[in-house]
Amino acid sequence: MSEHVWHTVAITIPFLSEEDAQIAKLALDVDRELQPHAVKRVLEVQGNNLVAKLSTLTIRLARLSANAFLENVDLVVHTLDEFGTR
Amino acid sequence: MPGTLKRSPLKRPERPYIALGLEGSANKLGAGIIQHDPDGSTTVLSNIRHTYITPPGEGFLPQDTARHHRQWIHSVIKDSLKQAGVGIQDLDCICFTKGPGMGAPLQSVALVARTLALMFNKPLVGVNHCVGHIEMGRQITGAQNPVVLYVSGGNTQVIAYSQQRYRIFGETLDIAVGNCLDRFARVINLSNDPSPGYNIEQEAKKGKKLLPLPYTTKGMDVSLSGILSATEAYTYDKRFSQSAEPSPENDTITPADLCFSMQETVFAMLVEITERAMAHIGSKEVLIVGGVGCNERLQDMMGIMARERGGNVFATDERFCIDNGIMIAQAGLLSYRMGSVTPLSETSCTQRFRTDEVHVAWRA
Repeated sequence: MSEHVWHTVAITIPFLSEEDAQIAKLALDVDRELQPHAVKRVLEVQGNNLVAKLSTLTIRLARLSANAFLENVDLVVHTLDEFGTR
Repeated sequence: MPGTLKRSPLKRPERPYIALGLEGSANKLGAGIIQHDPDGSTTVLSNIRHTYITPPGEGFLPQDTARHHRQWIHSVIKDSLKQAGVGIQDLDCICFTKGPGMGAPLQSVALVARTLALMFNKPLVGVNHCVGHIEMGRQITGAQNPVVLYVSGGNTQVIAYSQQRYRIFGETLDIAVGNCLDRFARVINLSNDPSPGYNIEQEAKKGKKLLPLPYTTKGMDVSLSGILSATEAYTYDKRFSQSAEPSPENDTITPADLCFSMQETVFAMLVEITERAMAHIGSKEVLIVGGVGCNERLQDMMGIMARERGGNVFATDERFCIDNGIMIAQAGLLSYRMGSVTPLSETSCTQRFRTDEVHVAWRA
């Protein structure tokens, strides 16, 4: 393969507030992807939404990285829910 | 002895300090809350643990362990806060295990630690798991400057303190002692509840024969994988019987005899390298930490050696020996009181994190 075709996945996750979305972004951004040459992940906050853009070299990696990302989001959302003051 | 004459750089706190510690580097998930008071005393406010137990014959795999931690971490943290009677807003810092350990479980716990820190605007302190064991052992036993034997499922090290580092005198060249025992427990199908090591210890009490195994110490280091293979090989021996009663009369080999022989051989090796380290640094104290450290046979053997040298052995019970959150809180709070905080960008975990990489700022 001389030229790579990047597969892209965009995931939008709504939060209760912009602050929560910001917390999720900061907490999730710290861990780097295990294969940075094959998976690129960009997180940003748009209003109450956390938007993740994943670019991967193979479709398989797109599935794996999206899965792993969603599992982490689930953990953050649960933590916000269990310990949040609202 | 180095360090004993100097004043401790750690100042008495001007007010009570409280820290939450989160641990999840292997199959134990722990949360503990510790308090340091102005009079220099330390109080354990809570110490909650939830263990991921696999069926007999199976070990714990990283992904399954991480799933267990994700499922239980919120209730474990809530229980620890409730028992301590404090809220997250009362904490001075949140401490978590940065490494060493299994990647996925470590990362799951760190992610929760990070989220809580951001929600309540608390500083984070990343803690080296091994240093956590040592600091909690020192705190509970009051040992001043001991040679530390750190024995657990993932680590086997003889450690001595010098000039603000815990220096590794000797270690295993291949697998850890707990790994050796746990894997043998799987071979003979012992239960993993409460832990494979505990069940081996009980089984070994019934053993009658000491079978020859490859006793391997190399200078300050030990090698254990050969012992595991050799013990496993006995289970294919014609004399081996899974169900026979152990007896010194006949030549039958039972699982109890193998557990007994394995423990005696492995622990003798550990006592040997610990004694050599004591002779090197001139210390008369031994502190045993880590999950295997609550094995009473190991404590007895170490005690005999230490007494012959005119010293004594310090060990803790399973609450503090086996992985727990409170030790992470203790080591983290010591570090925090010396002004050390881990910036958010550096709170990722690392599977490899050697004991001697940590700058022990709080000791003279």
